[in-house]
Amino acid sequence: MVRHFMAALQKHKMCYALILPTFFLVFLFRYYPAFSGVYHSFFEWDGALLEEWVGFSNYIEAFQDAKLWRSFLVVIVFISANIVKMIPAIIVALLIFHLKSEKHQYLYRVLFVVPMIIPQIVYMLLWKFFYEPNIGLLNQLLIGLGIVEPDLPPMWLADPEWVIPSLIFMGFPWVGVVSVLIFLAGLQSIPNSVYEAADLDGCGILKRCVTIEVPLIMSQIRLSLVLMIIATLKGFERILIMCNEFGGPNGAANVPGLYMFRMAFMEGRVGYACALGMLLFGVILVLTLLNDKYVRVEK
Amino acid sequence: MSAAPKWKNVQQELAKHAGILFVLFFAFFPLYIMLQASLKDNAQFGNNIWLPMAPYHWANWLTGWLAIKDFIANTVIVCVFGVLLTLAFSITTAYVFARYKFPGSNVLFYMLLAVMMMVNVASLVPLFTLLRDLGMLNSLISLILLSIANGQVMCVYVMKNFIEDIPKDLFDATSIDGATDLQVVRSVVIPMSGSIISTLAILRFIATWNDFVMPMLIMRDEQMYTLGVGLMSLNSGYDTQWGPLMAAYCIASIPLVIIFIFTMRLFVKGLSSGAVKG
Repeated sequence: MVRHFMAALQKHKMCYALILPTFFLVFLFRYYPAFSGVYHSFFEWDGALLEEWVGFSNYIEAFQDAKLWRSFLVVIVFISANIVKMIPAIIVALLIFHLKSEKHQYLYRVLFVVPMIIPQIVYMLLWKFFYEPNIGLLNQLLIGLGIVEPDLPPMWLADPEWVIPSLIFMGFPWVGVVSVLIFLAGLQSIPNSVYEAADLDGCGILKRCVTIEVPLIMSQIRLSLVLMIIATLKGFERILIMCNEFGGPNGAANVPGLYMFRMAFMEGRVGYACALGMLLFGVILVLTLLNDKYVRVEK
Repeated sequence: MSAAPKWKNVQQELAKHAGILFVLFFAFFPLYIMLQASLKDNAQFGNNIWLPMAPYHWANWLTGWLAIKDFIANTVIVCVFGVLLTLAFSITTAYVFARYKFPGSNVLFYMLLAVMMMVNVASLVPLFTLLRDLGMLNSLISLILLSIANGQVMCVYVMKNFIEDIPKDLFDATSIDGATDLQVVRSVVIPMSGSIISTLAILRFIATWNDFVMPMLIMRDEQMYTLGVGLMSLNSGYDTQWGPLMAAYCIASIPLVIIFIFTMRLFVKGLSSGAVKG
């Protein structure tokens, strides 16, 4: 038995050799940190010398941490907004799909990819400049239109009331390229017979869109939805760049990822940050499992 | 009979174009602001932010270039080596999983897929301490290795599906010739999967180009910064010279634009085929 097994290993040693680089890197840079994070979530750890077993107290502290709860509320607000912000991409995909000329379809697909290849950081810094209170574009526009008092311009990202709306509005008109293209691919796979049937029934454009097309690309919509929710839950770079490591004025836009980041790298509470990371992982895992179980994407 | 419906069709087409162009206008607006502001000095910039204005200060681009050329060089090094090695490793691994069953192959493949579930931020801190303990802070090599490690899962997954769809006869023909696995990868897999490989390459290139957090954490010296960190540090200066800053933003975007122009057809096709869903 063992000999048989050894022979099989021997026979396939080329296979193991070929996959070795991949697995070496994945184990070292993905698995090891992940397990180390689980392990250290039970420690009071400053990332260096202090390393003291504290059992579950990091987790207990997290459940009693009002700032953490608030950060989850903030991220839920962002997720809800992002769901609404998916609509333009769907509409754009529908518009492009219904163009008669294939040439135009292709041209627009290319044009919509262009904003994606501008580095994200450049985009964010440009928006940061738009929101700049004194010389930023937004205030100049609003003052020019007479909507805003020139002496008392809104501070946008620096105003605890406005920081979340500003972050939500950012990136207008919110057409993520990848989602436009995914939706387009979904629309293109709708069989022609469906359309012919709809034409026979004398279906209007709006009705056709709501009753036929959107339901038929539901699996693509769901996919983007899941990807978006996970990305929003763990994302924090945008808020770190647009505001600061506290999540804006009074921490008004603090999200869980950012809170974890600050605990680890600014406050030296690395063990606690690992526990927060585990909680975040848990939430994402539950959402993924729920999605697999109840809203399975049909192939 | 046909005149009225035809006119209606034209109207409908125009309405669609108008809708798309409306959205495109706003999508491109920040780029327009960036471009025209890159040619202004601070006085012009404060005076009129909306429109291009003579005299054009082309020197801004030189200043911007000098400010970020080291960051660009670092980023290009990380991206080029990162993407090439990501593809080299992931294509061979995908090939092995697609063509061979061997002891542990299923377990190993699922272990790879399980990485998709991991939350990057959750292991950010241990990853940082790992690199610190290995003495790999402040080095471009760590960024390259991380880029390879992060790209493996998606690339192996997509490539494996793709290789499984390549007709078996092709492989059989080459193995009769006594080709080794690496030769098969080179002579069958790579020529057959050009568009998917280039799509993956571009996606990984963009992801690495945009990476911000790890470089920010591990780079200590300013000359080691990559673009993201470098642009952030320029942006946080006090008396901002907007023209050169905007020129620097433009320059930072150019390499991706060039790559895109050369690979547009493949890229749009690859993305639209829905093959890459993460």
